[in-house]
Amino acid sequence: MRPVISVSLNGRAYQLEDDAHAALAEYLDSAARELAGNPDQAEILDDLEHAIADKLERCLNPHKTVVIRSEIEQVIREMGPVDSGVAGASPHDSGPAGEAPAGSGTAAGAGSSREPDEPASKRLYQISDGALISGVCKGISVYLDIDVTLVRLLFVIAAVLTGGLAILVYIVMMFIVPYANTAEEHAAARGLPFNARVLVEQAKLKAAQLADAAAQAAMHNRSREARMQWKAEWRKARAQWRQERRRSRAQWRAYRWTGIPPATASPAAPPLPPLAHLICGLIAAALGLVGALVTVAWLFALFSLLTTGAVFGWMPFHLPLWGAVIALLLIYLAVESPVRAVRHAMVPRFYGYPYHWYAFWDGLVGLALLALALWYVTHHGHDLQNSFDSLQQNLQPAWHQFLLAWQTLVHGTH
Amino acid sequence: MSEDPKLGALRKGFLEFLVLRIIRGSKVYVADILKKLAATDFATQEGTLYPLLSRLRREGLLDYQWQESEAGPPRKYYRLTAAGERQLAEFDAYWVRLNQTIDSMGS
Repeated sequence: MRPVISVSLNGRAYQLEDDAHAALAEYLDSAARELAGNPDQAEILDDLEHAIADKLERCLNPHKTVVIRSEIEQVIREMGPVDSGVAGASPHDSGPAGEAPAGSGTAAGAGSSREPDEPASKRLYQISDGALISGVCKGISVYLDIDVTLVRLLFVIAAVLTGGLAILVYIVMMFIVPYANTAEEHAAARGLPFNARVLVEQAKLKAAQLADAAAQAAMHNRSREARMQWKAEWRKARAQWRQERRRSRAQWRAYRWTGIPPATASPAAPPLPPLAHLICGLIAAALGLVGALVTVAWLFALFSLLTTGAVFGWMPFHLPLWGAVIALLLIYLAVESPVRAVRHAMVPRFYGYPYHWYAFWDGLVGLALLALALWYVTHHGHDLQNSFDSLQQNLQPAWHQFLLAWQTLVHGTH
Repeated sequence: MSEDPKLGALRKGFLEFLVLRIIRGSKVYVADILKKLAATDFATQEGTLYPLLSRLRREGLLDYQWQESEAGPPRKYYRLTAAGERQLAEFDAYWVRLNQTIDSMGS
């Protein structure tokens, strides 16, 4: 807690922290000393105050009303030392020559102080919002800033062309690419700066929303009670927002240290009618349960297939093992994706994202793609199998050679 | 980046000339002058410019008037007086002669 001193510059009141006030007072005092004997001393000091006030406006906004020392120091650097204006009178003064580098330096400083502190680093994450399977494609699309459907299409094409290898790649990525859970990670996935400025902008947006709500409330009821209520609400929202930031940061730190992904931090939900909130929550929860059951069943089926060579002792097509795995995956997706699509249509509404229908269509497009892939596998399964077999035949000699080399290497070292 | 102090002293004398030239072009206020100078060797700060403008006004070379700005408080807009125009014309003529003299020497 710092004391604040109010000063008047050119007819406007400014609040300075005590040490900021001391720095400004010192600058103006030295200016007055330098201008001592100048008949225009008072007027020049007025002009200087005017210019300082102009520069201070830049540091202030409705959410920041107090000037701190570093800002005053920046302003003073930009103002430059006061020169009595008697040319050649002060030998120690190098004039504009000496000030030129300082001036350009502070100009650059003023520019960079508004930039993010460090270049935003972009990282690949899986993003489960609007994901079809695990969010790998979604993460890639966000990373490359292209449409997710295009990425999925390319993945399906790659899967067909490589005889299922792309699916393996997907599965591997599913396990090694981390999920973007916190706001920081979502920002990093998009390569956006995540710093105080972004937070301030979010806060501003929130404040604007609250102000809107308050204005509406005021239209209904201009009483003092309404204002009190809105104030309390605003305080509550701010506290909640702060808590959220703190929690997400703590989780992110914990994640980095332990590798345990944090529970998805839910962004603050917008006001939703209580009944709608309840229904949305129930449906989302029920769908989540269904999705989880399907996933567990699928994992059992996969386990059974890999260990016994048949799904619970049942093998309808004469597929090789790899084909059966793919078919199983496709069946899983066909069952799971409508559930997922509805859930994603529901959950964003929950979280207040503006694109509820986008998630729904996203799911539908994904479903259509899957149907296409399924159709391709059932109609051209033989081609696929042939291409895979030939690939295997081509790879086998190389594999044997590799094994041979490996064995001689291992035995050679013994 | 330190520079020969002699060049600094030379520039200091020219700053007045330059400021008069900037003000001759159009009615300007301090931020305009600073912006014009910022990109040059004559980059100047308020701490230097305000006292200089005040001295030029006292010498009767320029004058100002308060004018409302579209955003923020009213500003001082400067312009040359008749005496300022004459002084600047003298400066200009002197500058041409000075250039010729410098060019003709040591070549």
